Amino acid sequence: MVITELYIRKFGRLSDRHFYLGRGLQIITGDNEFGKTTLHAFIRAMLFGLDRGRGRAAANDDFTRYEPWDEPGVYGGVMRFTCGGRRFRLERDFARYTRRASLVCEDDGEELSVENGDLEMLLGGMTPGVFDSTVSVGQLKSEPGKELAEALADYAANYYETGGGVYNLSGALQILNGKRRETERELRTETDAEDEVRTDLQREIRYLERDMQRLEAEYKEKKERLDDGQAEKKEAREKRGTGKRHGKRQGIRSALPGILAVLAGAVLAGAGAVPGFPFPAGKEIREAVLLAGITLLLAGAIILFRKIWAVRSAGRVDEIPGSAAVPAEDGEENRSRLAGELAHIRAEYRDRELRRGNLREQYEETGKSERRYRLEERCRALALAEEQLKEAAKLSGDGMERRISDRMSEIFARITDGRYRSVEAGRSKNGFRITVWDGQRRIPAERLSRGTLEQIYFALRMAAADVLLEEPFPVILDDVFAFYDDKRLGSVLQWLGSGREQVILLTCQRREERILNGNNSCGKEEFQNEDKFA
Amino acid sequence: MRFIHIADVHLGARPDAGPLYSEGRARELWETFEHVLGVCEEEQTDLLLIAGDLFHRQPLVRELKEADYLFSELTHTKVVLIAGNHDYIGKNSNYRTFRWSENVYPLFGETMQYADFPELDTAVYGLSYHSREITEPLYNHVRAAGVRRHEILLAHGGDDRHIPFDRRKLGGAGFDYIALGHIHKPQVLERDRIIYAGALEPADRNDTGPHGYVKGEITNQGVRTEWVPCASREYIHLSVEVGAEDTTGSVARHIWKLTDEHGNQNIYKIVLKGKRDPEVRFDVSRMAGGRNILEIVDETGPAYDFERLYAEHADTILGRYIGRFRGCREGSTEYEALCEGVEALLESRRQ
Repeated sequence: MVITELYIRKFGRLSDRHFYLGRGLQIITGDNEFGKTTLHAFIRAMLFGLDRGRGRAAANDDFTRYEPWDEPGVYGGVMRFTCGGRRFRLERDFARYTRRASLVCEDDGEELSVENGDLEMLLGGMTPGVFDSTVSVGQLKSEPGKELAEALADYAANYYETGGGVYNLSGALQILNGKRRETERELRTETDAEDEVRTDLQREIRYLERDMQRLEAEYKEKKERLDDGQAEKKEAREKRGTGKRHGKRQGIRSALPGILAVLAGAVLAGAGAVPGFPFPAGKEIREAVLLAGITLLLAGAIILFRKIWAVRSAGRVDEIPGSAAVPAEDGEENRSRLAGELAHIRAEYRDRELRRGNLREQYEETGKSERRYRLEERCRALALAEEQLKEAAKLSGDGMERRISDRMSEIFARITDGRYRSVEAGRSKNGFRITVWDGQRRIPAERLSRGTLEQIYFALRMAAADVLLEEPFPVILDDVFAFYDDKRLGSVLQWLGSGREQVILLTCQRREERILNGNNSCGKEEFQNEDKFA
Repeated sequence: MRFIHIADVHLGARPDAGPLYSEGRARELWETFEHVLGVCEEEQTDLLLIAGDLFHRQPLVRELKEADYLFSELTHTKVVLIAGNHDYIGKNSNYRTFRWSENVYPLFGETMQYADFPELDTAVYGLSYHSREITEPLYNHVRAAGVRRHEILLAHGGDDRHIPFDRRKLGGAGFDYIALGHIHKPQVLERDRIIYAGALEPADRNDTGPHGYVKGEITNQGVRTEWVPCASREYIHLSVEVGAEDTTGSVARHIWKLTDEHGNQNIYKIVLKGKRDPEVRFDVSRMAGGRNILEIVDETGPAYDFERLYAEHADTILGRYIGRFRGCREGSTEYEALCEGVEALLESRRQ
């Protein structure tokens, strides 16, 4: 395929511009800000269309970037090209409401349909991804903070492992990994919720068990009281019976001195008081005997009285403790009340026991939710995808690696004028590494100059294009040679000029022109830039 | 002799009934049960047959009192019930000690017994679960004893772990009617003779379809039955086919239309099927729209033509990756891995 003419109606900063292109090396020179990158984007948009992104992504996609701000209704242009010996005219309108594309074969006027894939057929399977990673070449860019050699190694690794660099292996793995982590997070939330349900059930079970313990203690205590009450009453009844007998005997025994004293006193007093009783000691003795008798009588009476009193008080004290102390009917009522309470406690206990059983059943029934099964399944699928993707990368590498590597070495040797013989790239245990061979030493990429790294990068892309593309396709180089010295630039231009069907070189320097003009070997299809259509 | 046959009322259960109705769902089970008793009273039904699992778990005394009070209000109907595998008669079961009203005839024995109703010339046979599972086929050798003209069997179970039975043996056992419980989906094993009434109300998120009870009459001409739907809600599983043009919004609107058509008193589970635009990811959390939806499951796959992708990218990692999954079944873990991997690879092209 060769692009023969570009007409930009309006695209970004460019409007109403014509570019005529021929075979071989075509140089378009322009100062900074002239619109070289815009022209590059225009070619890409003509080939593959310009889709508007969706949502937030639309804010800085190509559609928005190149949409004419002053006249958004006019947005597009024309591309003429030859392909398979026939000439075609492709016209596109990118504007929001009038978007369309037409493709006509200028040899026979046949109208083809872009929508139905006729253009894709002509491009021979070229996709935007392949385009970006092969024939459309910019400067090697490294992410901030990353060594250029490292960026190159990543880049090469991706070529080898994905089969052409269209896909970004580590990017894809990152996407999968991110999704898996997200799913695992969801899974955790789900299991946490399930655990919470189970914890709640366990807590309820514990409450019930505490209740059951309390009821058990209460029951025991009441039961003891009931049993005690009955035992006490029995004992009290016995005690009262024996107590009476015991008291009687004891009373008589303990009252003996009193009784004896009363009797003796009475005898004495009686003797003293009887006038006819002969007392040998006369009247004084008689009075004394009477007095002693009365005293004895009184003392005996007091002793007796106190004994009797004591026995009666003792009897009363005996009856006070325990339920047995209350009248018989009260005791029965109390006992039946206690028994009722016990029955109630037993019922309460059984109720708790039953509820605990129900909760335990419920606990046993708690299981994984359907959602949890699904999330686990998704985690497994994502892990499997990561694993298989790595396996596929190994496979892709094997065949592709050798072909790209050989071609890359060949190109690299050519453009360095034999300074280096070959480039080796491959995965070792320290990651993907690139080394160059100068015939004597193997030099790791990180020890090479920026210019040389750029040349490896260029060689890699050209090699990939040669290996991957079935049909020759225009190579578009956008300010690629800024870091090349004049000698290497000469070599690379010579290499580009021989054998390539079309190379479009966008540059801000006059160096390329000068070298080509001085070195007439490949200047025969030299192109003057900025041809403006009248 | 006219009867009503209910089963699997599951009083005390708290089934998940979606964001709108879960709260009051336990009460609704009681309400529907009361409704059936109301029908018995109004129609002066002779027998109310309860074929097990009246309660979801071991009934508490207050629950039994509640139910018995409702039974006691029946002026004509006599109630016969058995315990099923959910309310089985464990050693602490309140069924063992509860004193029922006079019109209630529990058949709580572990072995077959019958309740005799001379005034109806009817005998109702049955046994109860005394454990959660019974694997012996206890019903296979049961025969109607012929003590009354009409003989009915109350039976619960029918799967491997809950008294499996041979339908033909049951059919030949000589009963006029066999009132079955345990399987929640209403079904007729033999017309007018052997019937699962189904759960009175759906008691679980998978109890889809309508629910109700059996109303029957036994005359000298034989048995006639009809199934009466009465559940207040239904669990409905809907499958929604999506296409490459669908978005979260369009699918949501389609779901709302469907649920509105099927009635918003019901409880929904929605499964999205079909092929979606690979660029579109459905956000199911935004699709409920205040409807009573238990769950929306996204089973859609991206609309990739894997065969074509494989053919066109055989040389690249994409083709090789697809090749590793060739022949995997749609819906399998492998298929999901295939979709995710392809999606990630294609997305990585844009990085």
